Parts: sequence; C-alpha cells; structure tokens
Amino acid sequence: MKESVFITLTDGFKDKLYRLARRLLVSNEEAEDATQEVLLKLWKNKKRIGQYKNVEAFAMTMTKNYCYDKLKAKDSGNLKIVHSNYKDERPSLQREVEAKDSLNWVGKIINNLPEQQRMIVQLRDIEQYDNAEIAEMLEMNETAVRVALSRARKVIREELVKKHNYGVG
Amino acid sequence: MELVNIEKLLDKYFEGETTLSEEKELRTYFTREHIPSHLEKYKDMFQYFSNESQITSIHIDNAVSSTNIPWYTWLGVAASIVLIVGLFMTNIIPGMDTEQTPLLTLEQDLGTYEDPQLALQKTKEVLNLVSQFMNEGKKDLVYLNEFENAKKKLVYLNEFENTKNSLIK
Repeated sequence: MKESVFITLTDGFKDKLYRLARRLLVSNEEAEDATQEVLLKLWKNKKRIGQYKNVEAFAMTMTKNYCYDKLKAKDSGNLKIVHSNYKDERPSLQREVEAKDSLNWVGKIINNLPEQQRMIVQLRDIEQYDNAEIAEMLEMNETAVRVALSRARKVIREELVKKHNYGVG
Repeated sequence: MELVNIEKLLDKYFEGETTLSEEKELRTYFTREHIPSHLEKYKDMFQYFSNESQITSIHIDNAVSSTNIPWYTWLGVAASIVLIVGLFMTNIIPGMDTEQTPLLTLEQDLGTYEDPQLALQKTKEVLNLVSQFMNEGKKDLVYLNEFENAKKKLVYLNEFENTKNSLIK
C-alpha cells in the first residue's frame, strides 16, 4: 500500500477517531496522542489492511481499546491527572457560568456518563453511525447498544430538565 | 413539521428507537429560530451534537510523513565524504606536495641497525649513558643522610623516659 492511498483512506475517519478519543480522555493533547498512535499502528500493519472488511470500524475499536488502556493506567497510578474538572464549590457562581455557556453544559453532562454510554452517544448522535456499526466497533450486541443509548439519552434529558427548571424557578 | 410529530419523535428518540434519518429531522427542526418553550431545553443538546461533529485537530499529521528525510541531510553526508576523501588524498599521492616527501623518509629512518654486533655495542653505550646519569643524580641525594644524623642526636630523649619510669617506682 502506498502512502497516498493510506492517507486518503485514513483521512476519511481520522477526525472521528480523534473525537472519540477526546470524548473518552477529555484532554485534547491525549486525544491527539491516541489518534497518532492508532494511525501509526494501522500504517505498520498496512499489509493486513486488505483483510479487514471495515477498516474504519476496526480503527474505531483500536481507538476505544487504546483509550481504555490509558484510563486504566491513570486509575492505577498514584497520581491522578484529571482534566477539565474545575468544580466550584459555590453553586450559584457555577450555575451562572453554566447558564452563559449552555452548550458546554451539555458536554459536561455527556462526559459525566459512564464510558460506554459516552462512546455510544458520541458514535450515534455526533458521528451518526447506525447501531449495527456501533455494535461492531464496541464489540457489543445491537440490543445492548440500543438500551445503553436510550439510557444515556434519558440521563441527558433529566439533567437538561433539571437545569431548565432551575432557570425558571 | 407538526409539533405533535416532533413530540412523538422525541419520545421515540429517548427510547433509542428512532432511525438515523428521523434523528436528522429532529436536528434540522431544532436549528429553527422559534421553538415552543417546552421543547427549548432540547435545543442545546442538538446544537451541541452538530457542533461536536465539526471538531478537528490541526495537530494530527499523517503518521507516515515522519519517515521522509529532508534533502539537506544528504548535503551533510556528501560534504563529510568529500572532506574525508580530501584528507586522505593529500597524504597518499606522492609528488603532489614536494615538501611532504623528505618528511616521509625521515619518519621511516628509526635508527635501526642491521649488524647484531653493532647493535649490541650501541645498546651498551646507551645503557651506560643512562646509568651514568642515574649515579650523578644520586650524588645529589647525599644530604638525606643528615636526617639520619639528626635522629641520632635525639637519643637523649630516652633519658626522659628513664627518669619517668624511675619516678613511677
């Protein structure tokens, strides 16, 4: 496989890899590292790329696994690096800031979901893959994907309703 | 689209039963200016989804581009080869530099004797010369004997010891 072929192949989905990694790892830099790493692995295994029936799904699975490893490594270490976790103890100020930037608030809700639901929301609502593709990427079955998706969306709705009512009342 | 329809779609959406095209309808609906107030809380969510799908990283290069070696690396290699070859050439080719030739013959004349008798004689001469200088040098060290003499004069210090011993008795 030539360089140019590889580049056009990966250009189609490398941003999606980046966004998935970002959803899981939160930090932009770590997400970039993860994407580089996955692309590099793909390039090293370029001879076998022809054998995969869906390179994009395969790359997504690789990204997921890489991020899981990263998260696990972070958990086991004594030092925890927590990104974008700037919680203010004073709720009034926090609410104020959030009201100003309600889109970030949605992002925060999603990032507080469990990892699997986070990924499913990312893949379904943002990248618009269908459930069968998501099931392949995450190595799950389709029903489980649908259930997790519904659960995640309901949590988002609940949080949005809470926030909305706070503004009104 | 009718409001009733949208509400139905939303219900389906939170159950995770909408198709991708139905979700697209929802997204386009929520990009509108005027949305009924009870649905407004979902606007942020759909807005967030479409924003997030646009995010890309500028820092991700293609993994393969790093294998390219810049052209000036080869310039350096060529220059060093020329330098090394040039240094050898000046020494190897005789007659190129006339001042260099007598120096070469002088270096080769290391004073080797072909006749063993003569060699023995010369070696003896050299060794004699060495021992002669050794002896001359040793003569100057005679004054070291003064230390010995001075030490002998200190013998009377023993008297102290003797008187001390008799006092103890």
